[in-house]
Amino acid sequence: MSFQYVFMEAFNNIRRNGLVVLGAILAVFISLQLMFGTLIFGEIARINTVRWEEDVRVIAFLRDEFRDVDALRDEVASWDAVAEVIIFSKADAQEEALEMLANHSSARRLIEERPGILPASIRVRPVDLEQYDPIVQRLQSSPGVSNIITAGPQIAALTALRDGLRVVFSILSVALGIAAVALIANTIQMAIYARREEIEIMRLVGASNWYVRIPFVIEGMIEGLFGGALAIGVAIGVYRIALQRLTTLPEFITIDIGPEFLTRWSIITLVFGVLVGILGSSLSLAVHRYLKT
Amino acid sequence: MIRLDNVTKTYDGGVVAVKDAALEINKGEFVFLVGPSGSGKSTLIRLMMREERPTAGDIWVAGKHASVLANWKVPHLRRSIGTVFQDFKLLPNKTVYENVAFALEVTGRPRAVIKSQVPQVLKLVGLSANADRYPRQLSGGEQQRVSIARAFVNRPLILLADEPTGNLDPATSVGIMRILDRINRTGTTVVMATHDHAIVDAMRRRVVQLERGRIVRDQMGGLYDRRGAGVPVDQPMRTQGDIEVPIADPSEITAEIPAISRPIATRPERVDIDPETIEMNAIDPARSELAAAELTDVEDAR
Repeated sequence: MSFQYVFMEAFNNIRRNGLVVLGAILAVFISLQLMFGTLIFGEIARINTVRWEEDVRVIAFLRDEFRDVDALRDEVASWDAVAEVIIFSKADAQEEALEMLANHSSARRLIEERPGILPASIRVRPVDLEQYDPIVQRLQSSPGVSNIITAGPQIAALTALRDGLRVVFSILSVALGIAAVALIANTIQMAIYARREEIEIMRLVGASNWYVRIPFVIEGMIEGLFGGALAIGVAIGVYRIALQRLTTLPEFITIDIGPEFLTRWSIITLVFGVLVGILGSSLSLAVHRYLKT
Repeated sequence: MIRLDNVTKTYDGGVVAVKDAALEINKGEFVFLVGPSGSGKSTLIRLMMREERPTAGDIWVAGKHASVLANWKVPHLRRSIGTVFQDFKLLPNKTVYENVAFALEVTGRPRAVIKSQVPQVLKLVGLSANADRYPRQLSGGEQQRVSIARAFVNRPLILLADEPTGNLDPATSVGIMRILDRINRTGTTVVMATHDHAIVDAMRRRVVQLERGRIVRDQMGGLYDRRGAGVPVDQPMRTQGDIEVPIADPSEITAEIPAISRPIATRPERVDIDPETIEMNAIDPARSELAAAELTDVEDAR
């Protein structure tokens, strides 16, 4: 059996049932698109979570009368759980607040009128996110500290969003994946029906079962491959456009996930598409009466 | 070559198509399966080609225990069997040449074999000039000849024909029978289910008669009708040019088709089939050459 034969047969089948094949390819495309999209978003969330973890700060606001800031910094920096401590002066705090309140003129005016209203602080980058609570507890006992806030809730929000979307996309991906398998099985079923006379004659003259079946399996694989390729193409296209257009993101969020991740997961998605195609065509071949001996 | 031991085939719903059939067909025999519609002729053919499995009993075909043969081995059995049907089963989108070549292609024969075998077998059935035509451009008789060419191009040990003349007029049927006879003379065993009284009576070969699934007669040199030698039930026909004329004397038919006539053989002794010794190779080169040498163009012979 030659490669030319099996591919010619497969492409002839695809041509004969153009619309149904298109439906199957689109189903694979949508399913894998969701899968690939989820993966890309998950990666963006991961990168940004990592960034937050690296930069996470416990912010300890200092009492105005507290003078021994450098000593406090040195003490906190000596703690095992602390990676870095930065002193944030009243001037720094004012500058940051003015930036944050750019759209709130009355609040800006208040700050500008009363310089020094905002407290100085020390900002702590813990070695690990897990070691975060002990730092807060120790800081609370320090006499110079008036108030402590943490960046925890922001990280939690981003992680929750990522996990929520993962669940929704996963369910949709699986449902559409099943639909894709069923649609491919349907196109193969139609192809078998269209060629039933040929199959009957093949079997009469003693063609082996694989000789009869392989073109249909190849057809399913091609449909899965096309669906997968389309999904990757569109996902990467949309991602690239987003990368160009989303220039006004807050500086602490990055959406650049790098080419390695995209290459690796593109290949995996393609293989997945091919597997969906093989599964669909195999299902069809297994149940079809024209192919039963 | 073919042996049935107490074969019964019951379909779902309890319909008994073949009941307790015992039959042995030797290499090179020409056997007619006769009987009314529903008597089990086609089922018997389907059992022999392992399209069906018997409900009870054993079937041996071309040295293979067909009744217990694993599904994946069926294609190999089929390569030693040629099949011809009433409805020709040709592929409409392939030419005559391609239809015949198809049988070789799908069994993985090299191109060189296809190129040499297909023209040879087309010559045998007298269709060399029509090689590039499509089935729809051919008459019924020509289409059936293509189907015979396809069945024989593999040089099978056995040719099973289910009503091959069922769709054809008597004159055309005679042409088909000539070809089947020539194929039989190369040593190929031919089993043909038929309703055609004239053909059976003219050829005087072994006749196996079925009624309600049972073999009720197995007669060497028999006539279609069980009344035996002498009186055919229907008036046989012969052709003069394009016109069919009735024949008063059945013996005249054998005179009309000299290539088919042959002395009436005695029934061969029953011999147990030993699968080890039976000829397994359907494409024995020696046989192939023999066939090529012996088979001459029908049109040349005219």
